Amino acid sequence: MQSVVTSALEQGLLYGFMVLGVFLTFRVLDFPDLTVDGSLPLGAAVTALIITSGYSPWLATIAGTAVGLIAGLVTGGLHLLLKSGDGNSTNYGPKLLAGILVMTALYTTNLRIMSGSNVPLLREPNVFDQVGGWLSVHMIGWWLILVLVIFMLIVKYVLDWFLHTELGLALQATGDNEQMLRSLGVNTNVVRVLGLGLANALVALSGSLVAQYQGFADVGMGIGTIVAGLAGVIIGEVLFGTRSISWVLFSVIGGSIVFRLLISISLRLGIAPTDLKLFTALLVVLALSLPTVRRKVIRM
Amino acid sequence: MSTPTALLAQGLTKVFFPHTINEVVALNGISLRVDPGDFITIIGSNGSGKSTLLNAIAGTVSVTAGTVWLEGKDITKLAEHARARSIGRVFQDPRAGTAPSMSIQENLAMAYLRGRRRGLRPGVPARLKRQMKEQLAELDMGLETRLTAHVNKLSGGQRQAMSLLMATVAEPRLLLLDEHTAALDPKVAATIMDLTGKIVQERGLTTLMVTHNMEIALQWGNRLIMMHAGRIILDVASAQKETLTIPGLIRKFHEVSGETLAVDRMLLE
Repeated sequence: MQSVVTSALEQGLLYGFMVLGVFLTFRVLDFPDLTVDGSLPLGAAVTALIITSGYSPWLATIAGTAVGLIAGLVTGGLHLLLKSGDGNSTNYGPKLLAGILVMTALYTTNLRIMSGSNVPLLREPNVFDQVGGWLSVHMIGWWLILVLVIFMLIVKYVLDWFLHTELGLALQATGDNEQMLRSLGVNTNVVRVLGLGLANALVALSGSLVAQYQGFADVGMGIGTIVAGLAGVIIGEVLFGTRSISWVLFSVIGGSIVFRLLISISLRLGIAPTDLKLFTALLVVLALSLPTVRRKVIRM
Repeated sequence: MSTPTALLAQGLTKVFFPHTINEVVALNGISLRVDPGDFITIIGSNGSGKSTLLNAIAGTVSVTAGTVWLEGKDITKLAEHARARSIGRVFQDPRAGTAPSMSIQENLAMAYLRGRRRGLRPGVPARLKRQMKEQLAELDMGLETRLTAHVNKLSGGQRQAMSLLMATVAEPRLLLLDEHTAALDPKVAATIMDLTGKIVQERGLTTLMVTHNMEIALQWGNRLIMMHAGRIILDVASAQKETLTIPGLIRKFHEVSGETLAVDRMLLE
């Protein structure tokens, strides 16, 4: 049982960066961004390429993240091309299409970067072992979790700080009331593109860390990222609340951990790994309908 | 230009759905000269082009033909957000002017930055809070004690008062009010109108205000414009405006347009 909990914590935190990215697009920007299914393995692929070329895993992680940022910028730019005229912010068609196109293009890109469908990293150096080396500990179990928690807290606080800067408020307002922000003299198009870049940087960072953690990068590791991301966001919001941006950032990280816990438990209970995606989708439907059901029950 | 002109529009034309069966000429060659400090009320029946005129000036709608100058600068080709650096707006829908899931102070802080570059400085700087409280207190709606409350917790009147404040705090060169009291109940509408008059006067803002309400149009401002079928059919300056009455206005409309005015909506507001 302990291994179920620790592995759920590890994965919940590793994928938590991705969930923060999905939160940023889906909730803050009101942009359901499907790029993430491609930018997560993109981060992993770039990281794998650089590590196997003999460079520092830190450089590999940073580069993976940076390339994710570029993928997000491309989606944002494509959205500007696809949306007609001023663009109606509640028109999700161009947003979905931009994400799907980049996600599809990234599939080939990732295969090219890795020169194949996967790259093993088990014998290669990674950031976790390096931190373990500094601390003179073996980077498994609670030590790994501790390091991940600290890293997550740093990223969370930086994101929280950013969202409360002048630019960060503009990012929030772009998703909240774009017309208003434009009437205050802000080029909301630029802000949205930046936000998408930032979000996909977080997703790619997640992919980079996951690849180093599991010991390989795989072109298929991004499938269902958007669903897993949504699951984290929604479970977190339902369980831990949304009282403020600072709080909800914690909530969705918690949601990510709970989601991985549910996956671990269901695997333990005998659900075949092949059935996992169906289970995940059902979980999201359940979490999505919970607030509605709760409201109806209260009304009765 | 020799004399200072706040806003100059020449031959503004807007055709929606051109060359189709649904073609609508919303603006039909409008020319308008606005002096600095003018407070112009604009009336007209539905579809007369009042809102399209404001949208064309603000850049929400791109014109088919014509030119707009703001303080001598041709802004016709500028994007909406670029024009908004010097143009403040309040919309009819009280929800349109504020970001609902953000706090009062965050909304206001964004408005202070109109026309400025947004960077990584704190979004709500501590030094602004006193100024915010003072300005919110002037609205007399009890908002000064609720800086961190989310705007979606406010009433329509409170939100519209916020919108008005946000449109004017950075002292824009031009203020556009698009039926900004029409969605409020009469008492609240009167409060917002009083606030509007006060703010416009205190800051000496050049203002264009579209309204359906003839009484408001006559009561406020120093100049009145009546629109019909995409044209300005009546332009009454200060001295003459003071002697104008609602029946007089309706009579004038008949004379100029030769049509019966759809007074029902305009009078019964």
